[in-house]
Amino acid sequence: MALSDEQIERYSRHILLKEIGAKGQKKLLEAKVLVIGAGGLGCPVGLYLAAAGVGTIGVADADTVDLSNLQRQIAHTTADIGKPKVQSLKESMEAINPDVTVHAYQKFIDSSNIRELIREYDFIVDGTDNFAAKFLINDACVMEKKPFSHAGILRFQGQLMTYIPGQGPCYRCVFKDMPPKDAIPTCRQAGVIGAMAGVIGSLQAMETVKFITGTGTLLVGQLLTYDGINQSFRKIKLPPCDGKCAICGEHPTITELRDYEQPACELRL
Amino acid sequence: MFITVAGEKKEVKDGLLLKELIEQEKVQTPQYVTVSLNDEFIETADRDQVVLKDGDTVEFLYFMGGGAWH
Amino acid sequence: MAAEEIRADETVDVTHLVCPNTFVKTKVVLDGLDEGQILAVRLNDGEPVQNVPRSLKEEGHEVLRLDPNDDGTFTLYVKKVGD
Repeated sequence: MALSDEQIERYSRHILLKEIGAKGQKKLLEAKVLVIGAGGLGCPVGLYLAAAGVGTIGVADADTVDLSNLQRQIAHTTADIGKPKVQSLKESMEAINPDVTVHAYQKFIDSSNIRELIREYDFIVDGTDNFAAKFLINDACVMEKKPFSHAGILRFQGQLMTYIPGQGPCYRCVFKDMPPKDAIPTCRQAGVIGAMAGVIGSLQAMETVKFITGTGTLLVGQLLTYDGINQSFRKIKLPPCDGKCAICGEHPTITELRDYEQPACELRL
Repeated sequence: MFITVAGEKKEVKDGLLLKELIEQEKVQTPQYVTVSLNDEFIETADRDQVVLKDGDTVEFLYFMGGGAWH
Repeated sequence: MAAEEIRADETVDVTHLVCPNTFVKTKVVLDGLDEGQILAVRLNDGEPVQNVPRSLKEEGHEVLRLDPNDDGTFTLYVKKVGD
């Protein structure tokens, strides 16, 4: 595949980078990335990946745009209220870069459809807001041997890590199992600073581009945490998989995906 | 003795149990926080048996949701 | 003294481009060559002559020669180093 003059100009700031160059840009154009969740994290991820020229991007979300989303979900506008989030995000991504193909999946991702869906993609981005989805994405990615980027945000805090099959611990190595209903606050209950979604989502886009182009070091075996109150980042080394993990360990006890019950939002904080 | 907790060096009393440290640090929802000690995960049930030593490194890994999807 | 002729494997004309696209286009064409092959770049005087050879050197390529042409442009010969 040869880059057209328009592509050379559009992606010139990538091509200029020694670590990316024309080869890296072509890899991006040929890459397929699935973004699950078209909200706070999914918006900046989708926009940056589209701008970067990731050739095929899937976005999955069942929800529609709500007024309370607009404080942080920057791909959606006031005029998009009521519209499916995946459609709104797809339109924003295509407006930035008509060069990319966006597949919009307006549906709930569950144990019945996730494996088939992620199989089509090279890298998965978890932009979901609940633990049921996070464990489902982790388990499905381990089973399908797909790399993915995990992230979570809450209040003024954010975290992310990257899973690459066979190279480091998975999400379940670190967090074992679903916390019970209402044990852990969510953004909907506890709030989140809008720019936190931008910071962490952009870092997920960074991991994705680095994975595709084979650049630098990924957050494998490391949890990067960001505290917006103190403006401090920490890279916490994660222990390697101890072999006892229920999904990626030597003798996995989880052999089939399951759908956890979505915790309702009743916690008052 | 000195230990490193979440990246910060701290003086603690000799023979401190991991469980006591967690209380001392006022870790929120401690039963749902993953704890690593010197690059190893510690089972929640073992916390009251783990005696900290000088130079130990303890990290707390918190559950975090986020994004927006349901 | 007439300079020895250099046989280029590929040529690219960047006289219609401005910085940084002069170097970007050169990089893209160079990317399609094999290690050790030579690219001839036709470029304008001024900024391109200053920047393109320097950027190529920074990326580790071997700049062989910069020849003035009769029409005021230059031809830069660069040998690809590395993959």
